[in-house]
Amino acid sequence: MTAVSEHQAGALPPLPLPGEQKCPFGPPPEYEDLRAGQPVIRVSCPTGVDAWLVSRYADVRQVLGDPELFSNRAGVAAHILLGFGGGTDVPVSEGEFPRMDGAEHLRFRRHMAPEVSNIKRINQLRPLVQGIVDRQLDALAATTQPVDLYADFARPVTTAVIAELLDVPEADQPLFKRAAESLSAGGSSATDVAAALQPLFEYLYMTVVTRRAAPGEDVISRMIVRSDQTDQPFTDMELVTMAAALLIAGYDTTASLISHGVLALLEHPQELERLREDPSLAGTATEELVRYLGVGGGLLREVTQDTEIAGQPVKAGDYVVVAVQSANRDGALYADGDRLDVGRTSGAHLGFGHGPHQCVGQQLARLELTTVLATLPRRIPSLRLAVPFDEIRFKVNSSVLGPVAVPVAWDEIVPALESGA
Amino acid sequence: MRVEIHADRCIGSGVCVLLAPEVFDQRDDDGVVVLLDEHPDARHHESAHDAATRCPALVIEIHDEG
Repeated sequence: MTAVSEHQAGALPPLPLPGEQKCPFGPPPEYEDLRAGQPVIRVSCPTGVDAWLVSRYADVRQVLGDPELFSNRAGVAAHILLGFGGGTDVPVSEGEFPRMDGAEHLRFRRHMAPEVSNIKRINQLRPLVQGIVDRQLDALAATTQPVDLYADFARPVTTAVIAELLDVPEADQPLFKRAAESLSAGGSSATDVAAALQPLFEYLYMTVVTRRAAPGEDVISRMIVRSDQTDQPFTDMELVTMAAALLIAGYDTTASLISHGVLALLEHPQELERLREDPSLAGTATEELVRYLGVGGGLLREVTQDTEIAGQPVKAGDYVVVAVQSANRDGALYADGDRLDVGRTSGAHLGFGHGPHQCVGQQLARLELTTVLATLPRRIPSLRLAVPFDEIRFKVNSSVLGPVAVPVAWDEIVPALESGA
Repeated sequence: MRVEIHADRCIGSGVCVLLAPEVFDQRDDDGVVVLLDEHPDARHHESAHDAATRCPALVIEIHDEG
C-alpha cells in the first residue's frame, strides 16, 4: 500500500485502499477480518484525517442514510484528497452543494434532476449514446492495435456524451481534462486544484452569461431558464458550480468505471461470454459492476451529535469513513458477494452511495455503461488484453480508482446494428 | 399493498421510476416522485418493494396488507 505507507506518523492503522495488483478490483483483503471482528475501528487516512472506519453493509447503509447525524460538511473525499478546498474545516463556497446538507442541498439536487436523473429524459438520450458508442468502435476499427480502452474508447465516449449534453465544443476539452485530473489526484495541493479550476470556472461563467442572453436547448441553458422561473433563482456562481460538477464527473468518473468494468469482465471470461450471448443482461451487469467496483476509497462523513455505530460510541465532530466496497461484498447482502455475477437481479448495493448525496450522475452513468456492455462484447467478440494482466497498473492515491491504461487487441470489429434494431 | 411516499425528502434520483415505472413517475420541473398507483397490482409488488429499499432518500414506505 504505497499510497498510505508515507503516512505513519500516528499509532493508528492506515485506511486500507484498493488499487494495487493484489486487489485490482478491491476491496483490500483486510476488510474481511474487519467486517468479522472490528466493524468500527479508528484509522489514519492519507490526508492526515483520523476517522472511524465502518465496513459492514448494515452500518454503512445506516450512516449514509442518516444525513442529520452524519453530515457532508467535511467533503466526501477529504480523507483522500488534500486538494479541493484544502481541508475538512474550510467554509463551504458558493454553490458547493456536495458539502451542503438538508434543504440547502435539496435545492441543488432538484434543479439538476430534470437534466440528469429524470428517467424519461434518460430514455430519450439512449439513441444518442448508442450512436456515440458505435461511432467510437468504428473509429477503433480503423486504428492500429493495441489501443488503450481507457484513453481511446471510454474517455472519448463519456466526453462526447457530456459535450453533447452541455453543448461544449471538442476544442475546449483540454480545459476539462486538466481540471478533472487535478481534482481526482491525491497529490494535488489546494493551489494546484485552484490553478486548474480557475480557467474552467471562468469559461463556464462566460458560458452562463452568454446563454442567459441567448438560451439554447443544452443542459446549461435549461438550468438557467428554469432557475429564472423559480422563487429563489440560482446565482451565476451556483449555476457555474453545477455545470462544473456535471462536466468533471461526466468526464472522468464514468470513463474510469467503463475501463475498470470491462477489465473486470476480461478477467472473468465466463461472465463476458454470458453478456456476449445475451446483451439483455447489460442492465444487471451494469449494477453488478458498480457494486463490485464502486467507491474504492470510501466516503467521508462528520458526526453531528454524540451517537453510536454498531454499539461503538462516536462523538460530535468525529469523522467517519464508510467502506462502500467492503459493504457491497458483505455476506449480509450476498452470501457469494466476492463473486462477479452479471445476472444478479436483486439487492440494494451501495456502489453509487446511498442517502441524499447518492451520485447525481448515476442515471447517466448507468445509461453509458449499459450501452457499452450491450454493444462492446457483440461488436468485438475477440476482445482481449494486449499485455499480461500483471502488467496493468492501477491508480493509487486518487478519488477515482481503476486501471491507468487497458491495452487491448482483437481479430475483428463487426458492424453496428442498424439504428432502431 | 399500500404505497406511501414522503416527497418532501425526495432528491429526484429516478431510482424508483427505473425499477417500478408502473408505480412511480417524476415531475418534469424538479424530478420529484409522483405516485401513480397507491395500490399496485400484485405483479408489481416485488418491484415496488425493490424501489422502497433502493430509494436513496428513503422516501417510499410500503404497507403490506395481508
